[in-house]
Amino acid sequence: MFPISCRIAAPLLGSILMLGAGAGWALEGKVVVMTSYPDELVQRYEQAFERANPGTDLQVVWKPSRDAAAELAKPDQGGVDVYWTPSLGSFPRLRNAGAFRPLTVDRATLPGVVDGQFVSDRQGFFEAFEVAGYGLIVNPAALARDRLPQPATWRDLAATRWKGRLALPIAGQVGFSGALYDILLQAEGWEAGWALLGEAAADATLVGSGGQVSESVVNGDADVAVTVDFFARSAIANGHPVALVYPPRTAFLPAQVAITRAAPHLDAARAFVDFVLSAPGQALLFHPDIRRYPVRPDVYTQAPAGTVNPFQRIGAEAYAYDMERGLNRHGLIAALFDSLIAERQDRLKTLWGAIHAAEAALAAEPTTQPNAKADPERATLVSRARMLAGFVPVAGADADRLAPSFQDRRSNRNPEEQATLRKDWVARIDAAQAEALDLARRALPTP
Amino acid sequence: MRRIVLLAAALLGAATPLRADEAVTVPVQGRDAFSRPLPTLDPAHRAAFQAGRSLFQQVWTVGPSEVRPDLDGLGPLFNRQSCIACHAKNGRGEPPEGESDSMRSTLVRLSVPGGGAGAAPQPHPVYGDQFNPDGIPGVPGEGRATLVWSERVDRLADGTPVALRRPDLRLGNLGYGPLGPEVMTSVRMAPPLVGLGLLEAVPEADLLARADPDDRDGDGVRGRVNLVWDAARGAFAIGRFGLKANQPSLRQQNAGAFDGDLGLTSTLFPHHGCTAAQTACRAAAGEDAGDTKPELSDEQLDLVTLYTRALAVPARQNADDPMVRVGEGLFAAIGCAACHTPTLRTGPSPALPELAGRTIHPYTDLLLHDMGDGLADGRPDFQATGRQWRTPPLWGLGMTAVVTDRPAYLHDGRARSVLEAILWHGGEAEPAREAVRRMPLLNRKALLAFLESL
Repeated sequence: MFPISCRIAAPLLGSILMLGAGAGWALEGKVVVMTSYPDELVQRYEQAFERANPGTDLQVVWKPSRDAAAELAKPDQGGVDVYWTPSLGSFPRLRNAGAFRPLTVDRATLPGVVDGQFVSDRQGFFEAFEVAGYGLIVNPAALARDRLPQPATWRDLAATRWKGRLALPIAGQVGFSGALYDILLQAEGWEAGWALLGEAAADATLVGSGGQVSESVVNGDADVAVTVDFFARSAIANGHPVALVYPPRTAFLPAQVAITRAAPHLDAARAFVDFVLSAPGQALLFHPDIRRYPVRPDVYTQAPAGTVNPFQRIGAEAYAYDMERGLNRHGLIAALFDSLIAERQDRLKTLWGAIHAAEAALAAEPTTQPNAKADPERATLVSRARMLAGFVPVAGADADRLAPSFQDRRSNRNPEEQATLRKDWVARIDAAQAEALDLARRALPTP
Repeated sequence: MRRIVLLAAALLGAATPLRADEAVTVPVQGRDAFSRPLPTLDPAHRAAFQAGRSLFQQVWTVGPSEVRPDLDGLGPLFNRQSCIACHAKNGRGEPPEGESDSMRSTLVRLSVPGGGAGAAPQPHPVYGDQFNPDGIPGVPGEGRATLVWSERVDRLADGTPVALRRPDLRLGNLGYGPLGPEVMTSVRMAPPLVGLGLLEAVPEADLLARADPDDRDGDGVRGRVNLVWDAARGAFAIGRFGLKANQPSLRQQNAGAFDGDLGLTSTLFPHHGCTAAQTACRAAAGEDAGDTKPELSDEQLDLVTLYTRALAVPARQNADDPMVRVGEGLFAAIGCAACHTPTLRTGPSPALPELAGRTIHPYTDLLLHDMGDGLADGRPDFQATGRQWRTPPLWGLGMTAVVTDRPAYLHDGRARSVLEAILWHGGEAEPAREAVRRMPLLNRKALLAFLESL
């Protein structure tokens, strides 16, 4: 097994690969690439690669990541040459299983670090191809019409002004939401983050399809939604009057590419990896129907107007998102989202409605002194109600320990253990929220 | 001075701009102009539209899939792996650039002589009725299809040169031996998808009333309906979808595309197209071993059909512009509107009641017309001869260049501009084409401005 040198000697070849495309010898007649990318992205790369490499047919095998892992575990790895996909957790697992060949990368061209985050493999078996950030898609015209300020932070989502205007992805159903919610939870803190999500979700529309989250803002069903950015960026590029807001504490996470251990068309595989990491290949990411962020800083000179450069992000807070920790927690987050939010949204609505009503009543009452509470006893009740309403049955300190039991959002590795845990969660959530509702109602002014 | 006179004369005859019923159009929204739902869809239909869109954009996978068994079944032979691969942005496809390029949103229909007049095309005995370049692992693809272009320069009456390119089909790397001398081929580029539900809701009686196969009115424009096989009804019916109107309904059109393009069986098309000579294909399909469960469920087919049925038409742009209005008058005056019928009215629409009773402006009569030798594919399809094509709708035409990266027109994408497409018109459309050829520059600009407004 020989290392594959990427990103070297570019100026002479118009390519930055030492081996592969442009090297002057014929490639194999085909290269088999496995991916779960949408066809709007794959088509453009297929077309561009085949035009750049006449005679080499790019054959795409589309597989969800778990099916892909099964294919790559076969002795011949299903005849696949290249694995190229947005599936953060898959690449380290497959590397550890010996599925890939090593790549050698010139870090002067491909730094492998974006927004302070290491996005490529430290051991050199896979390389970042693009990154996507997480944020808020908003309808500025609708907000301006109702004189509402745009949300700027994750914390802003809990504001009562978004009642009926916010769309949130269901963590167990939308692929990107595990990373999205983990970024929020790491940014806000585990307990505070879940409390925020519960309050925001009480009057939100829960959406079960990734594309529909942004679409709900595009079509006017919602004015604000949380999303991975390329849906919003593509909507903007396609002419829809929406905007994207990155909270100061967010992260840009990678999709990656690797050459398989058993690649039967090795030169063509190298050429493909070379192409997707080349300047022309990276610039394709700016296409209106793709709109993901290149991992090469040098191609940002070709970026369309208004493109955020994740290598030089303005307004970002120093925030070290822990990607590996997050990967471990996606399944747990999906399960907790179901128990805390998706399966009890009606009750959340009642609960948070009562808390907001009590808080509004207190705020409206006259006080004798500045900064004094109108009724300290009722204020204490509301404060306790708020705390209990945000109860999460898994403490932050226990999340990492419990996470392996919930491998990913589609797996149910330990069904009996999970069922027992969930039953316990539900009982404790019920108790906390029942008490919170009682406190909130007692905090309301007596008629 | 002459220009002013011409424009002034034309303005006197300028048409009142036609605008489609607001209930079936949406304001233009950039590159997504062909991707919006009808504004009047009820909530249940909107949800179904969104689910249908997901399936339309979904890449289908080679089975079995542990994660998404509902999305497996691709192949054994196929052209593309998703609907959107051919119908990017629901707009026109793009033909290959040349011999080193491949067909991606263009396909090749195949047949051999036989079957009788008015019958379905006789599939090629080895390759079937459509050339499928790709196969799933273990199944050889049928080969490589591309187009090689040759170009000639046509000159308008005022001396303006217009380059016209013509494709020559190249089929290579044939996976199952030679095609033989009798093979008939027809290159088809993916057409735009907006407004299809509305066209489906035009009553058959209206189509028959517009047909004039014997040219009884003596205007030189005939127009006939195609009579095609309706698999669901088990009877012949009027065809209205497909470039030769060879499909009677959107549901059958979609099921046919899933079958022919992606290799997915359905209750309408329960058998894969593997021929006797394609043994690996037959083995992979499993039909000989009794595996006949449809790969595409009726529910999935219905969702995709609703999606295509409910795609709204982009509203016209600049309809009140004086040049556009002049062009609209010229369009009618020179006879374009004889086939590109400006106005139709939908009848009852039980499948999607929101479509019923609408006045629409699709600029098609949904009838077959002889388009001359230049466009002829020489391949009959039911009652459509090798020279006949169904009049394509023109609504949304002006958004093509916005929606598509590389606009291409006509059935095989040979025309790179609307004017080039007009100049390929022949047969029944020859007088209209010649009128355009003779037009003064300003009138020609007005006509094109009108077409761009659609």
